[in-house]
Amino acid sequence: MSEGTGAMFGGHTSNGRVLVVDDESDVRKVVRMTLEKSGYDVIEAEDGEKAIQEINKGENPLLLDCIISDIRMPKINGVEAINYFKQQYPHVPLIVLTGFPDTEMATGFMKQGIVDYLVKPVEKQKLTAAVSKAMEQREINRL
Amino acid sequence: MIPSDLAVTHVGIIGAGKGGTAMLEALVNLPHVKLVGIADCNPRALGLQVANFHHIPTTLRPLDLIQNPHVQLLINVTGDPSMASTISHIKAPGTEALGGAGAKVLWDFIQHGTMIQAQLFQAEKLAGFGTFASGIAHDINNPLYVILAMAENIQEETDLSLIHEHAVSIHEAAQRIHAISRNITQYARSASTQETLTVDLHAKLDEALTIARFATKFHEITIQKHYNGSLEIAAKPEEIVQIFVNLMTNAIHAMEGKGSLILATDKANGQVHVSISDSGCGIPPENLQKIFDPFFTTKINGMGTGLGLYNVRTILRKYHGDLRIESEVGKGTTFYLSFPASPSSEMVAHDHNRTPST
Repeated sequence: MSEGTGAMFGGHTSNGRVLVVDDESDVRKVVRMTLEKSGYDVIEAEDGEKAIQEINKGENPLLLDCIISDIRMPKINGVEAINYFKQQYPHVPLIVLTGFPDTEMATGFMKQGIVDYLVKPVEKQKLTAAVSKAMEQREINRL
Repeated sequence: MIPSDLAVTHVGIIGAGKGGTAMLEALVNLPHVKLVGIADCNPRALGLQVANFHHIPTTLRPLDLIQNPHVQLLINVTGDPSMASTISHIKAPGTEALGGAGAKVLWDFIQHGTMIQAQLFQAEKLAGFGTFASGIAHDINNPLYVILAMAENIQEETDLSLIHEHAVSIHEAAQRIHAISRNITQYARSASTQETLTVDLHAKLDEALTIARFATKFHEITIQKHYNGSLEIAAKPEEIVQIFVNLMTNAIHAMEGKGSLILATDKANGQVHVSISDSGCGIPPENLQKIFDPFFTTKINGMGTGLGLYNVRTILRKYHGDLRIESEVGKGTTFYLSFPASPSSEMVAHDHNRTPST
Protein backbone atom coordinates (compact mmCIF):
# COMPACT_ATOMS: atom_id res chain seq x y z
CA MET A 1 0.00 0.00 0.00
CA SER A 2 1.44 3.36 -0.97
CA GLU A 3 1.26 6.62 0.97
CA GLY A 4 -2.04 8.43 1.26
CA THR A 5 -4.44 5.54 1.42
CA GLY A 6 -4.43 3.84 4.76
CA ALA A 7 -2.95 6.94 6.38
CA MET A 8 -4.05 7.89 9.86
CA PHE A 9 -6.53 10.71 10.30
CA GLY A 10 -8.02 11.62 13.64
CA GLY A 11 -6.88 8.37 15.19
CA HIS A 12 -8.58 5.96 12.77
CA THR A 13 -7.59 4.27 9.60
CA SER A 14 -8.86 6.05 6.53
CA ASN A 15 -9.60 4.64 3.12
CA GLY A 16 -8.81 8.05 1.69
CA ARG A 17 -9.53 11.74 1.95
CA VAL A 18 -12.34 13.29 -0.07
CA LEU A 19 -13.12 16.98 -0.61
CA VAL A 20 -16.86 17.57 -1.09
CA VAL A 21 -17.76 20.85 -2.81
CA ASP A 22 -21.44 21.85 -2.78
CA ASP A 23 -23.22 25.04 -1.79
CA GLU A 24 -25.91 23.16 0.12
CA SER A 25 -24.83 22.11 3.58
CA ASP A 26 -27.40 19.30 3.74
CA VAL A 27 -26.05 17.83 0.50
CA ARG A 28 -22.51 17.93 1.90
CA LYS A 29 -23.82 16.30 5.08
CA VAL A 30 -25.50 13.49 3.16
CA VAL A 31 -22.36 12.80 1.09
CA ARG A 32 -20.30 12.88 4.27
CA MET A 33 -22.65 10.39 5.96
CA THR A 34 -22.36 7.95 3.08
CA LEU A 35 -18.60 8.25 2.66
CA GLU A 36 -17.72 8.16 6.36
CA LYS A 37 -19.63 4.91 6.68
CA SER A 38 -17.38 3.53 3.96
CA GLY A 39 -14.32 4.64 5.88
CA TYR A 40 -13.36 7.81 4.05
CA ASP A 41 -12.35 11.11 5.60
CA VAL A 42 -14.39 14.00 4.33
CA ILE A 43 -13.58 17.69 4.15
CA GLU A 44 -16.14 20.20 2.93
CA ALA A 45 -16.19 23.42 0.92
CA GLU A 46 -19.26 25.46 0.01
CA ASP A 47 -18.05 26.81 -3.33
CA GLY A 48 -15.20 26.68 -5.82
CA GLU A 49 -13.32 29.52 -4.14
CA LYS A 50 -13.47 27.85 -0.71
CA ALA A 51 -12.46 24.56 -2.34
CA ILE A 52 -9.38 26.13 -3.86
CA GLN A 53 -8.54 27.71 -0.47
CA GLU A 54 -9.08 24.39 1.24
CA ILE A 55 -6.82 22.49 -1.13
CA ASN A 56 -4.08 25.14 -0.96
CA LYS A 57 -4.30 25.54 2.81
CA GLY A 58 -0.64 24.88 3.31
CA GLU A 59 -1.23 21.20 3.78
CA ASN A 60 0.17 18.94 1.17
CA PRO A 61 -2.48 18.79 -1.56
CA LEU A 62 -1.20 15.32 -2.33
CA LEU A 63 -3.01 14.21 0.84
CA LEU A 64 -6.28 14.70 -1.02
CA ASP A 65 -7.39 11.54 -2.78
CA CYS A 66 -10.56 12.66 -4.57
CA ILE A 67 -12.72 15.72 -5.18
CA ILE A 68 -16.52 15.50 -5.52
CA SER A 69 -17.93 18.75 -6.85
CA ASP A 70 -21.25 20.25 -7.81
CA ILE A 71 -21.16 22.52 -10.85
CA ARG A 72 -23.76 25.14 -9.95
CA MET A 73 -22.40 27.24 -7.13
CA PRO A 74 -21.91 30.91 -6.37
CA LYS A 75 -18.55 32.68 -6.92
CA ILE A 76 -16.31 30.22 -8.71
CA ASN A 77 -18.62 27.61 -10.19
CA GLY A 78 -17.89 23.92 -10.38
CA VAL A 79 -16.92 23.97 -14.05
CA GLU A 80 -14.25 26.57 -13.37
CA ALA A 81 -13.18 24.84 -10.18
CA ILE A 82 -12.89 21.52 -12.00
CA ASN A 83 -10.77 23.12 -14.73
CA TYR A 84 -8.57 24.63 -12.04
CA PHE A 85 -8.13 21.31 -10.21
CA LYS A 86 -7.46 19.52 -13.50
CA GLN A 87 -4.62 21.94 -14.25
CA GLN A 88 -3.17 22.33 -10.78
CA TYR A 89 -3.64 18.80 -9.46
CA PRO A 90 -3.94 16.54 -12.49
CA HIS A 91 -3.32 13.52 -10.30
CA VAL A 92 -6.37 14.07 -8.06
CA PRO A 93 -9.43 12.27 -9.52
CA LEU A 94 -12.62 14.29 -9.90
CA ILE A 95 -16.27 13.31 -9.62
CA VAL A 96 -19.12 15.62 -10.63
CA LEU A 97 -22.25 15.38 -8.46
CA THR A 98 -25.01 17.56 -9.84
CA GLY A 99 -28.76 18.02 -10.05
CA PHE A 100 -28.58 18.43 -13.83
CA PRO A 101 -29.45 15.32 -15.81
CA ASP A 102 -27.57 16.70 -18.81
CA THR A 103 -25.98 14.16 -21.15
CA GLU A 104 -24.17 16.82 -23.17
CA MET A 105 -22.51 18.20 -20.08
CA ALA A 106 -21.76 14.70 -18.78
CA THR A 107 -20.06 13.75 -22.06
CA GLY A 108 -18.01 16.94 -22.00
CA PHE A 109 -16.77 16.28 -18.48
CA MET A 110 -16.06 12.61 -19.17
CA LYS A 111 -13.93 13.66 -22.15
CA GLN A 112 -12.00 15.93 -19.79
CA GLY A 113 -11.17 12.82 -17.83
CA ILE A 114 -13.37 12.94 -14.76
CA VAL A 115 -14.06 9.64 -13.00
CA ASP A 116 -17.84 9.91 -13.09
CA TYR A 117 -20.75 12.30 -13.66
CA LEU A 118 -23.34 11.52 -10.99
CA VAL A 119 -26.84 12.97 -10.96
CA LYS A 120 -28.60 13.67 -7.66
CA PRO A 121 -30.36 11.88 -6.11
CA VAL A 122 -27.52 9.38 -6.34
CA GLU A 123 -27.74 5.93 -4.75
CA LYS A 124 -25.29 5.18 -1.95
CA GLN A 125 -23.79 2.25 -3.85
CA LYS A 126 -23.24 4.34 -6.95
CA LEU A 127 -21.54 7.09 -4.99
CA THR A 128 -19.24 4.73 -3.09
CA ALA A 129 -18.47 2.80 -6.29
CA ALA A 130 -17.44 6.05 -8.00
CA VAL A 131 -15.26 7.01 -5.04
CA SER A 132 -13.55 3.64 -4.90
CA LYS A 133 -12.94 3.87 -8.65
CA ALA A 134 -11.41 7.31 -7.98
CA MET A 135 -9.17 5.75 -5.31
CA GLU A 136 -7.95 3.13 -7.80
CA GLN A 137 -7.18 5.86 -10.28
CA ARG A 138 -5.41 7.80 -7.54
CA GLU A 139 -3.19 4.76 -6.97
CA ILE A 140 -2.37 4.54 -10.67
CA ASN A 141 -1.67 8.30 -10.86
CA ARG A 142 0.72 7.94 -7.93
CA LEU A 143 2.85 5.36 -9.71
CA MET B 1 -73.01 68.34 -34.22
CA ILE B 2 -70.95 66.10 -36.51
CA PRO B 3 -67.51 65.16 -35.18
CA SER B 4 -64.82 66.87 -37.24
CA ASP B 5 -62.63 63.78 -37.54
CA LEU B 6 -64.64 61.53 -39.84
CA ALA B 7 -62.06 58.74 -39.74
CA VAL B 8 -62.87 58.19 -36.07
CA THR B 9 -66.13 56.53 -35.08
CA HIS B 10 -67.60 57.81 -31.83
CA VAL B 11 -69.17 54.94 -29.94
CA GLY B 12 -71.38 54.69 -26.87
CA ILE B 13 -72.00 51.42 -25.04
CA ILE B 14 -75.34 50.85 -23.31
CA GLY B 15 -74.99 48.17 -20.66
CA ALA B 16 -71.88 47.58 -18.57
CA GLY B 17 -72.35 43.95 -17.61
CA LYS B 18 -70.32 41.10 -19.04
CA GLY B 19 -71.11 42.01 -22.65
CA GLY B 20 -70.53 45.74 -22.18
CA THR B 21 -67.22 45.10 -20.42
CA ALA B 22 -65.97 42.80 -23.19
CA MET B 23 -67.10 45.31 -25.81
CA LEU B 24 -65.34 48.14 -24.00
CA GLU B 25 -62.10 46.19 -23.61
CA ALA B 26 -62.17 45.23 -27.29
CA LEU B 27 -62.89 48.74 -28.57
CA VAL B 28 -60.72 50.75 -26.21
CA ASN B 29 -57.55 49.78 -28.08
CA LEU B 30 -58.82 50.42 -31.60
CA PRO B 31 -57.17 53.50 -33.10
CA HIS B 32 -60.22 54.61 -35.09
CA VAL B 33 -62.77 54.20 -32.35
CA LYS B 34 -63.42 56.83 -29.72
CA LEU B 35 -65.48 55.65 -26.78
CA VAL B 36 -67.74 58.53 -25.83
CA GLY B 37 -69.08 56.71 -22.81
CA ILE B 38 -70.62 53.64 -21.23
CA ALA B 39 -73.92 53.59 -19.36
CA ASP B 40 -75.52 51.28 -16.85
CA CYS B 41 -78.20 51.88 -14.16
CA ASN B 42 -76.30 49.60 -11.81
CA PRO B 43 -73.48 51.60 -10.17
CA ARG B 44 -71.67 48.34 -9.33
CA ALA B 45 -71.59 47.15 -12.95
CA LEU B 46 -68.10 45.83 -13.78
CA GLY B 47 -67.87 47.75 -17.07
CA LEU B 48 -68.19 51.10 -15.25
CA GLN B 49 -65.17 50.29 -13.11
CA VAL B 50 -63.16 49.18 -16.11
CA ALA B 51 -64.18 52.39 -17.94
CA ASN B 52 -63.02 54.52 -14.99
CA PHE B 53 -59.69 52.83 -15.19
CA HIS B 54 -59.39 53.68 -18.90
CA HIS B 55 -60.61 57.26 -18.28
CA ILE B 56 -63.73 56.69 -20.33
CA PRO B 57 -66.81 58.67 -19.17
CA THR B 58 -69.46 56.63 -17.37
CA THR B 59 -73.07 57.38 -16.54
CA LEU B 60 -75.79 55.74 -14.49
CA ARG B 61 -78.39 57.30 -16.82
CA PRO B 62 -78.41 55.42 -20.16
CA LEU B 63 -80.80 58.04 -21.61
CA ASP B 64 -78.07 60.70 -21.42
CA LEU B 65 -75.73 58.62 -23.55
CA ILE B 66 -78.48 57.57 -25.97
CA GLN B 67 -79.36 61.22 -26.59
CA ASN B 68 -75.75 62.42 -26.80
CA PRO B 69 -75.41 63.97 -30.30
CA HIS B 70 -71.68 63.16 -30.45
CA VAL B 71 -72.38 59.44 -30.52
CA GLN B 72 -72.32 57.97 -34.04
CA LEU B 73 -72.86 54.36 -33.03
CA LEU B 74 -74.73 53.07 -30.00
CA ILE B 75 -74.08 49.47 -29.06
CA ASN B 76 -76.86 48.02 -26.97
CA VAL B 77 -75.70 45.09 -24.85
CA THR B 78 -78.23 45.42 -22.05
CA GLY B 79 -80.19 42.28 -22.87
CA ASP B 80 -83.27 44.34 -21.97
CA PRO B 81 -85.95 43.61 -24.63
CA SER B 82 -87.49 47.09 -24.34
CA MET B 83 -84.18 48.94 -24.76
CA ALA B 84 -84.09 48.65 -28.59
CA SER B 85 -87.34 50.55 -29.03
CA THR B 86 -86.35 53.16 -26.40
CA ILE B 87 -83.12 53.79 -28.31
CA SER B 88 -84.82 54.07 -31.69
CA HIS B 89 -87.31 56.59 -30.26
CA ILE B 90 -84.98 58.96 -28.45
CA LYS B 91 -81.55 58.71 -30.12
CA ALA B 92 -80.19 61.69 -32.03
CA PRO B 93 -81.03 61.56 -35.76
CA GLY B 94 -77.43 60.93 -36.90
CA THR B 95 -76.84 58.07 -34.46
CA GLU B 96 -76.88 54.46 -35.62
CA ALA B 97 -77.89 51.74 -33.21
CA LEU B 98 -76.53 48.21 -33.05
CA GLY B 99 -78.39 45.75 -30.89
CA GLY B 100 -79.95 42.31 -30.85
CA ALA B 101 -78.40 39.88 -33.31
CA GLY B 102 -75.95 42.48 -34.68
CA ALA B 103 -74.50 43.24 -31.24
CA LYS B 104 -74.44 39.52 -30.44
CA VAL B 105 -72.42 38.69 -33.57
CA LEU B 106 -69.99 41.50 -32.76
CA TRP B 107 -69.69 40.21 -29.22
CA ASP B 108 -69.12 36.63 -30.43
CA PHE B 109 -66.44 37.91 -32.77
CA ILE B 110 -64.69 39.75 -29.95
CA GLN B 111 -64.93 36.74 -27.63
CA HIS B 112 -63.45 34.55 -30.32
CA GLY B 113 -60.54 36.94 -30.89
CA THR B 114 -59.88 37.14 -27.14
CA MET B 115 -59.93 33.37 -26.87
CA ILE B 116 -57.49 32.93 -29.77
CA GLN B 117 -55.15 35.48 -28.24
CA ALA B 118 -55.30 33.79 -24.83
CA GLN B 119 -54.54 30.44 -26.49
CA LEU B 120 -51.53 31.97 -28.20
CA PHE B 121 -50.22 33.38 -24.91
CA GLN B 122 -50.69 30.01 -23.26
CA ALA B 123 -49.12 28.06 -26.15
CA GLU B 124 -46.05 30.28 -26.10
CA LYS B 125 -45.80 30.02 -22.32
CA LEU B 126 -45.94 26.23 -22.37
CA ALA B 127 -43.55 25.98 -25.35
CA GLY B 128 -41.08 28.14 -23.43
CA PHE B 129 -41.42 25.82 -20.44
CA GLY B 130 -39.17 23.26 -22.15
CA THR B 131 -36.18 25.52 -21.63
CA PHE B 132 -36.81 25.47 -17.87
CA ALA B 133 -36.93 21.68 -17.60
CA SER B 134 -33.31 21.08 -16.61
CA GLY B 135 -33.36 24.00 -14.17
CA ILE B 136 -36.49 22.64 -12.52
CA ALA B 137 -35.02 19.12 -12.40
CA HIS B 138 -31.87 20.52 -10.78
CA ASP B 139 -33.80 22.40 -8.11
CA ILE B 140 -35.89 19.34 -7.30
CA ASN B 141 -33.03 16.83 -7.43
CA ASN B 142 -31.00 18.58 -4.76
CA PRO B 143 -33.61 18.44 -1.97
CA LEU B 144 -34.76 15.05 -3.25
CA TYR B 145 -31.28 13.70 -2.71
CA VAL B 146 -31.30 15.04 0.85
CA ILE B 147 -34.71 13.45 1.53
CA LEU B 148 -33.81 10.04 0.10
CA ALA B 149 -30.41 9.81 1.76
CA MET B 150 -31.56 11.09 5.16
CA ALA B 151 -34.62 8.84 5.18
CA GLU B 152 -32.47 5.84 4.31
CA ASN B 153 -30.08 6.77 7.08
CA ILE B 154 -32.86 7.10 9.66
CA GLN B 155 -33.79 3.47 9.07
CA GLU B 156 -30.43 2.34 10.46
CA GLU B 157 -29.86 5.16 12.93
CA THR B 158 -30.37 4.59 16.65
CA ASP B 159 -29.25 7.98 17.98
CA LEU B 160 -32.50 9.85 18.64
CA SER B 161 -30.96 13.30 18.37
CA LEU B 162 -29.50 12.46 14.95
CA ILE B 163 -32.84 11.05 13.82
CA HIS B 164 -34.46 14.29 14.89
CA GLU B 165 -31.83 16.33 13.01
CA HIS B 166 -32.41 14.28 9.86
CA ALA B 167 -36.16 14.72 10.16
CA VAL B 168 -35.70 18.51 10.26
CA SER B 169 -33.57 18.36 7.10
CA ILE B 170 -36.10 16.12 5.35
CA HIS B 171 -38.91 18.48 6.25
CA GLU B 172 -37.01 21.52 4.94
CA ALA B 173 -36.12 19.74 1.71
CA ALA B 174 -39.71 18.65 1.15
CA GLN B 175 -40.88 22.23 1.72
CA ARG B 176 -38.52 23.40 -1.01
CA ILE B 177 -39.91 20.88 -3.47
CA HIS B 178 -43.41 21.95 -2.50
CA ALA B 179 -42.57 25.59 -3.23
CA ILE B 180 -41.17 24.68 -6.66
CA SER B 181 -44.25 22.64 -7.49
CA ARG B 182 -46.50 25.52 -6.42
CA ASN B 183 -44.54 28.10 -8.41
CA ILE B 184 -44.53 26.16 -11.64
CA THR B 185 -48.17 25.11 -11.52
CA GLN B 186 -49.18 28.68 -10.76
CA TYR B 187 -47.13 29.92 -13.70
CA ALA B 188 -48.36 27.23 -16.09
CA ARG B 189 -52.06 27.82 -15.59
CA SER B 190 -53.97 29.71 -18.22
CA ALA B 191 -55.03 33.33 -17.76
CA SER B 192 -58.03 33.00 -20.07
CA THR B 193 -60.59 32.66 -17.31
CA GLN B 194 -59.11 35.15 -14.87
CA GLU B 195 -60.56 38.60 -14.49
CA THR B 196 -58.71 41.89 -14.34
CA LEU B 197 -57.33 42.53 -10.86
CA THR B 198 -55.13 44.99 -9.05
CA VAL B 199 -51.66 43.59 -9.52
CA ASP B 200 -48.68 44.41 -7.34
CA LEU B 201 -45.81 44.70 -9.83
CA HIS B 202 -43.07 44.05 -7.28
CA ALA B 203 -44.70 40.78 -6.23
CA LYS B 204 -45.06 39.79 -9.89
CA LEU B 205 -41.42 40.66 -10.67
CA ASP B 206 -40.33 38.42 -7.79
CA GLU B 207 -42.69 35.66 -8.90
CA ALA B 208 -41.33 35.88 -12.46
CA LEU B 209 -37.77 35.75 -11.15
CA THR B 210 -38.36 32.40 -9.43
CA ILE B 211 -39.41 31.01 -12.82
CA ALA B 212 -36.79 32.75 -14.97
CA ARG B 213 -34.02 31.46 -12.70
CA PHE B 214 -34.77 27.99 -14.05
CA ALA B 215 -33.41 29.21 -17.39
CA THR B 216 -29.81 29.08 -16.23
CA LYS B 217 -27.55 26.28 -15.08
CA PHE B 218 -25.40 28.59 -13.05
CA HIS B 219 -25.70 30.75 -9.99
CA GLU B 220 -23.47 33.50 -11.22
CA ILE B 221 -26.07 35.99 -12.25
CA THR B 222 -26.22 38.70 -9.64
CA ILE B 223 -29.63 40.19 -9.23
CA GLN B 224 -30.10 43.78 -8.16
CA LYS B 225 -33.52 45.07 -7.27
CA HIS B 226 -34.23 48.77 -7.11
CA TYR B 227 -37.92 48.80 -6.20
CA ASN B 228 -39.46 52.16 -5.39
CA GLY B 229 -42.76 52.63 -3.59
CA SER B 230 -45.74 50.41 -4.17
CA LEU B 231 -46.72 49.91 -7.80
CA GLU B 232 -50.14 48.66 -8.78
CA ILE B 233 -51.77 48.25 -12.15
CA ALA B 234 -55.06 46.72 -13.27
CA ALA B 235 -54.38 43.57 -15.29
CA LYS B 236 -54.60 39.81 -15.43
CA PRO B 237 -51.79 38.78 -13.07
CA GLU B 238 -50.77 35.76 -15.19
CA GLU B 239 -50.19 37.95 -18.21
CA ILE B 240 -48.00 40.38 -16.28
CA VAL B 241 -45.91 37.50 -14.91
CA GLN B 242 -45.60 36.17 -18.47
CA ILE B 243 -44.24 39.52 -19.71
CA PHE B 244 -41.65 39.58 -16.95
CA VAL B 245 -40.68 35.92 -17.36
CA ASN B 246 -40.17 36.40 -21.11
CA LEU B 247 -37.99 39.48 -20.65
CA MET B 248 -35.98 38.00 -17.77
CA THR B 249 -35.45 34.69 -19.59
CA ASN B 250 -34.16 36.58 -22.63
CA ALA B 251 -31.88 38.60 -20.35
CA ILE B 252 -30.53 35.47 -18.66
CA HIS B 253 -29.96 33.71 -21.99
CA ALA B 254 -28.21 36.82 -23.33
CA MET B 255 -25.76 36.67 -20.41
CA GLU B 256 -24.99 32.99 -20.99
CA GLY B 257 -24.99 32.25 -17.29
CA LYS B 258 -22.86 35.13 -16.08
CA GLY B 259 -23.59 38.79 -15.49
CA SER B 260 -25.98 41.05 -13.69
CA LEU B 261 -29.71 41.41 -13.99
CA ILE B 262 -31.11 44.69 -12.73
CA LEU B 263 -34.80 45.14 -11.97
CA ALA B 264 -35.84 48.72 -11.32
CA THR B 265 -39.23 50.32 -10.76
CA ASP B 266 -40.58 53.80 -10.32
CA LYS B 267 -43.79 55.80 -10.44
CA ALA B 268 -44.30 59.21 -12.06
CA ASN B 269 -47.22 61.16 -13.58
CA GLY B 270 -49.76 58.38 -13.18
CA GLN B 271 -47.47 55.92 -14.92
CA VAL B 272 -45.56 53.07 -13.37
CA HIS B 273 -42.18 52.23 -14.85
CA VAL B 274 -40.33 48.94 -14.82
CA SER B 275 -36.93 48.35 -16.33
CA ILE B 276 -35.20 45.03 -16.85
CA SER B 277 -31.49 45.30 -17.69
CA ASP B 278 -28.89 42.70 -18.47
CA SER B 279 -25.16 42.79 -19.07
CA GLY B 280 -25.45 40.32 -21.91
CA CYS B 281 -24.54 40.17 -25.58
CA GLY B 282 -26.88 42.97 -26.70
CA ILE B 283 -29.10 43.14 -29.77
CA PRO B 284 -27.51 44.16 -33.08
CA PRO B 285 -29.19 47.30 -34.54
CA GLU B 286 -30.38 45.37 -37.62
CA ASN B 287 -32.37 43.03 -35.33
CA LEU B 288 -33.94 45.72 -33.15
CA GLN B 289 -36.67 46.29 -35.72
CA LYS B 290 -37.44 42.58 -36.00
CA ILE B 291 -37.49 41.36 -32.40
CA PHE B 292 -41.23 41.94 -32.00
CA ASP B 293 -42.12 40.18 -35.24
CA PRO B 294 -43.89 36.88 -34.67
CA PHE B 295 -41.57 33.87 -35.14
CA PHE B 296 -38.41 35.99 -35.20
CA THR B 297 -35.79 34.30 -33.05
CA THR B 298 -32.01 34.17 -32.82
CA LYS B 299 -32.05 31.31 -30.31
CA ILE B 300 -30.81 27.91 -31.49
CA ASN B 301 -32.47 24.48 -31.71
CA GLY B 302 -35.87 25.00 -30.27
CA MET B 303 -34.76 27.26 -27.41
CA GLY B 304 -37.06 30.05 -28.59
CA THR B 305 -40.54 30.12 -30.07
CA GLY B 306 -40.12 33.54 -31.67
CA LEU B 307 -43.35 34.53 -29.92
CA GLY B 308 -42.02 35.74 -26.58
CA LEU B 309 -41.49 39.41 -27.40
CA TYR B 310 -44.43 39.45 -29.78
CA ASN B 311 -46.62 38.44 -26.85
CA VAL B 312 -44.90 40.90 -24.53
CA ARG B 313 -45.87 43.69 -26.89
CA THR B 314 -49.42 42.39 -27.39
CA ILE B 315 -50.02 42.15 -23.63
CA LEU B 316 -48.50 45.59 -23.04
CA ARG B 317 -50.74 47.15 -25.67
CA LYS B 318 -53.73 45.50 -24.10
CA TYR B 319 -52.98 47.35 -20.86
CA HIS B 320 -52.05 50.62 -22.62
CA GLY B 321 -48.46 50.05 -21.70
CA ASP B 322 -45.45 51.31 -23.54
CA LEU B 323 -42.10 49.75 -24.32
CA ARG B 324 -38.67 51.15 -25.16
CA ILE B 325 -35.38 49.33 -25.68
CA GLU B 326 -31.79 50.39 -25.29
CA SER B 327 -29.21 47.91 -26.41
CA GLU B 328 -25.54 47.85 -27.19
CA VAL B 329 -23.78 44.84 -28.65
CA GLY B 330 -21.35 43.41 -26.11
CA LYS B 331 -22.66 45.64 -23.29
CA GLY B 332 -26.24 44.62 -22.66
CA THR B 333 -29.88 45.44 -23.10
CA THR B 334 -32.50 47.33 -21.11
CA PHE B 335 -36.24 47.04 -21.63
CA TYR B 336 -38.19 49.99 -20.26
CA LEU B 337 -41.87 49.27 -19.67
CA SER B 338 -44.54 51.67 -18.54
CA PHE B 339 -48.17 51.12 -17.57
CA PRO B 340 -50.93 53.42 -16.44
CA ALA B 341 -51.05 53.18 -12.64
CA SER B 342 -54.16 51.62 -11.16
CA PRO B 343 -56.37 54.61 -10.18
CA SER B 344 -57.58 53.16 -6.93
CA SER B 345 -57.00 49.89 -5.24
CA GLU B 346 -60.72 49.61 -4.39
CA MET B 347 -61.70 49.52 -8.04
CA VAL B 348 -60.98 45.88 -8.57
CA ALA B 349 -60.48 42.86 -6.38
CA HIS B 350 -56.99 42.41 -5.04
CA ASP B 351 -54.84 39.70 -6.47
CA HIS B 352 -53.87 38.31 -3.08
CA ASN B 353 -57.54 37.67 -2.28
CA ARG B 354 -57.51 34.89 -4.79
CA THR B 355 -54.12 33.33 -4.21
CA PRO B 356 -54.75 29.61 -4.55
CA SER B 357 -54.90 27.65 -1.35
CA THR B 358 -51.96 25.38 -0.84
